[in-house]
Order: sequence, then C-alpha cells, then structure tokens
Amino acid sequence: MAVARAAANGAAADASRRVVGRHLLVAPALAVLVVFFVLPYLNLLVISLMTPSHRAPYLRVLTLGNYTTLLRDPFTWQVIWHTLWIGGVTTAISLVLAYPLAYHLARAPRRLRGVLMVLVISPLLVGVLIRTYGWMILLQDTGLVNQFLRAVGLRGAPLMYNNTGVLIGLVHVFIPFMVLSIAGTIQHIDPELEFAARSLGAGAWRTFWRVVVPLSLPGVFAGTILVFVLTVSSYVIPSLLGGFTVLTVPLLVVRTVTELFNWPGGSAFAILFFVISLAVIWLYVRAMGRAAHLS
Amino acid sequence: MNLAVGLVYAFLLAPIVVVVLAALNSGAYLRFPPEGLSIRWFVAFAHSRSFTRSLRFSLELATVVTVCATVVGTMASLWVVRFSGRFRNTLRILMVAPLAVPGILTGIALLIFFYAVGWEKTGLAGLIVGHTLICVPYVFLITSAVLIRFDRTLEEAARNLGADAFKTFWRITLPLIKGGLISGAVFAFVTSYDEFNISLLLSGVGTTPLPIELFDYLRFSFDPTAAVAGTISIGMALVVVLITQRLVGLESLYLGGG
Repeated sequence: MAVARAAANGAAADASRRVVGRHLLVAPALAVLVVFFVLPYLNLLVISLMTPSHRAPYLRVLTLGNYTTLLRDPFTWQVIWHTLWIGGVTTAISLVLAYPLAYHLARAPRRLRGVLMVLVISPLLVGVLIRTYGWMILLQDTGLVNQFLRAVGLRGAPLMYNNTGVLIGLVHVFIPFMVLSIAGTIQHIDPELEFAARSLGAGAWRTFWRVVVPLSLPGVFAGTILVFVLTVSSYVIPSLLGGFTVLTVPLLVVRTVTELFNWPGGSAFAILFFVISLAVIWLYVRAMGRAAHLS
Repeated sequence: MNLAVGLVYAFLLAPIVVVVLAALNSGAYLRFPPEGLSIRWFVAFAHSRSFTRSLRFSLELATVVTVCATVVGTMASLWVVRFSGRFRNTLRILMVAPLAVPGILTGIALLIFFYAVGWEKTGLAGLIVGHTLICVPYVFLITSAVLIRFDRTLEEAARNLGADAFKTFWRITLPLIKGGLISGAVFAFVTSYDEFNISLLLSGVGTTPLPIELFDYLRFSFDPTAAVAGTISIGMALVVVLITQRLVGLESLYLGGG
C-alpha cells in the first residue's frame, strides 16, 4: 500500500517536473520579448508624457504638452497625411503589379514555382539599402533611365529626390510581400473551380474576375494591410530616394529623437502616428467587411 | 499575361542587377552601353578600412545573433507547436510581433529604454539584443512550419523503445528538423547582416554594421565601392534562398493561407 502510494507520488512529482520542464522551452523567448520588446514600447508611452529638456534627454515631469504641441501644429498633420498618402498609393500600385505575379506563381508547375519563389524572395534578403542604392543608380539625373530617355531623344525626367522616386522604391521593395500574401491564398483555390467555369462557357477574363478574384480576397486583404503598414514605417527609402524634400513620419521621428534630442516629442509623435495608422486600418477593415456583406 | 508577369519580374530584379553591374563596371558611373569590366572597385573596397572593418563587424554580429536567435526561436517553436494549448495563438502573435511593428520604432524604443534602465554604453550587446529581436520571428516561423509537418509517431516509437525525452530529441527529432534549423539560421544570419533600422539607432563609434557605414557613405558619395558591398549582400541572399529552397522549400514563407 505504502509502496504503491509512494510510487504514485513519485510518478506525480515526475510528471509535474516534466510539465515544468516543457514550459521552460518558451522561457527564453518570452524573456527576450517581454524585457526587450514589450517593456521598451510601454516605456516609450511613458516617455511621451515626460517633459523635453535641453540638459537631459527628458525631465521626469508628467505632461501632455508633447501631444498638444503636435496636435496643434499643422506641420504635423501635413507629414502624417503625406505619409498615409504614400502608403495608400504604394499599396494600390503594389496590388496591381503583384496580383498577376501571384496568380502566375500559384498556378505554376512545381519546378517553375521553385525558381519563381527564388526570384520573388531573393530581393527581400538583399536588404532595403542595397535595393535602394540600385534605384539610385537607375533613377538619378545621370542614371540609366535618364540616359536611355535622352538617348532616344526625350527629355530627362526627375525621378529621384521626389515622391516619384520614393514611390518607385517603395513599390519595388514591398511587392514580394504582396505576392506572397496573395499567392498563398490562390494556391488554396481549387483549380477545378476555374476549369468548371471555363467548361460552362466563361471566358478567361470572366473566370478570373468572377471566380479567382473573389476567392483570393483574404490574401489581398492581408497583403494590402501588410504592405501599407510596412510602407508607412519605411525610413531608408524616403531618406535616400526622397532627399530632403519627402518628409515622412519615420524620418521626422528619427530626426526629432537623434538630432533635436527631443525624446518625449519624438515618442509622442511615434505613438500618435501609430494610433492614426491603427485607425486607418480599422476603417479599412470595416469598409472591406461591409463590401463583403454587400456582395 | 505572361508578358506582364515578365515585366514585373524585370522590375523586381532591375536594381539588383544594376548594383552588380556597377560593381564590375570599369567607370565610376554606370553607363549604357557599359564601359568595360573591372575589379577595381572590389580592390577599392578591400582597401577601405571603414568598409572592411564594418564588414567584419557585421559578420561577427550576425554570427552571434544567429546562434541566439536559432536557440531561442527553435525552443519557442517547439513549445508553441506542441505544448502551448490555449496560449497557442497568443504566443504565435507575440513571437511574430517584432516583425509587425516598424523597425525604426523598435530601435527608438530600445534606445530610450536602455537609457531609462541605466545601461549607458550599449555597444555590441545592445545591437545583439536588437537584432535577435528581429531574427527570432524568422527562425520561429520556419521551424514551426517544419515541426507542424513532423511525424510524431517516430518520437513515440523511440520513447516506447526506452529512450528518454532528451535522447529522443537529440537522436530522432533534431536530425529530422535539421533542414528547418539550418534554413532558419541562415535566414537569421542574413536578416541581421542586412538590418538597418535598428542598427541606425543603436550603433555607436566602433560598433558600426556595414549597412550603416554604407548609408553614411551613400548620403555624400556615389562611387561604386558601395556597389561592392551590395554585391556581397546579393551573393549572400542568393545562397540563403537556394539553401532554404533545397532544405525546406520556400512555401513555409507564404504569408496567410499557406
């Protein structure tokens, strides 16, 4: 009896030790994320309520002044609007360009698909900076594109240090994300559905619009949100391709923090923009939801 | 349709091809038709102390970050795939969260946080922390995808034959998920090597990764020495992608749906 109970107790202790052991697996990741991700962001929120100072990064005096200054300044709103605008245009263009790629990729035979995936993903791994540099070489006034334009007798076009250059760079960098989002969804659309539509007499275009596109919307949805968020967060591209003429929120936030040493102001701006972006996305989600209901 | 697709692919690859061409170009400006081939810019790069120093720093940093991220990320994915129960979705989101927020903002948050907790000269350690934060999600995503497909009956068989948990993991599980681990690791390596946003805010004198060095250079100069750095990155990216495709298949990177 006693032996059996001891054995049972031992087994229970072993079992709970095993369970604890298992959960230790996630401990390092949790530690890293909580200490170096969650806490810093919460801290950012706290700092945004501190008072800026000339002698130290900030004074430990609570104030809403950073936010009120921002909200009252028309320049703030200008930059925010411009950033959102760039986000919207980039997302729209990326969608148009990426969709054919995604469809082609998803429907490609296995071997070709492997090659295409390499082509789509390699740019991502090259890094934003290098790709932006490539665009600088192409889009400069003395760059390849303008050389070509002049060679065929046209005038050169200002493709850099303006919105155009920034948009080109952003679209280029984020198309792969759109492709990956949409392709994943299209791959789950049963090709039989397309065959069925065709066999019932629908043309290629009609099948595409009436069958494929509606079924691919979840991927489109996810992709557009992803690209929008990535675009408005971008620093390198507006910085290098926009020169000093294109000012976006990330550029201004970094400048405020690192050049003006106004940590509270920079934090407040970052958080304000974060909230506004969330609002924009929320509106988008609602609009999509309503559109889905109507159709 | 195929033409349209081809054009978009051309658009995707154009700047990358151009960088390689510029690195091999004999002239200082890339002209069409190209002037000629030369390795003078590679030589210039090798002679540039600031570039070679930051190249070495980036490689060392990436190595350390890879080890950290792979260990942390793999352990986490093991837990999430097998033992997380009702916390599964929450943890999944948390693990990927660093990718969802602007890197530049994470960099600022870390910079301010380190100051707030009194950590003054963060240097290499600060960069390791920041980069690991960004790289763990990739390791997590790739190894999770591999673990989900993993046949657990193999482990059960081993346990039935008397092996303990650790031995089973070491002898059975690990060799079979090796592909995922390697892919995750090389992905982490390249991600750290290329990382800009966080490095921008956390780098200091003497701890300057190559992308930051390059950025400073590009703001004021324009000769193709920078293109050499670009070519190195491009070569690395190709190698990583091919390795990943070979070992795990790039489908694990499908976002949403896959």
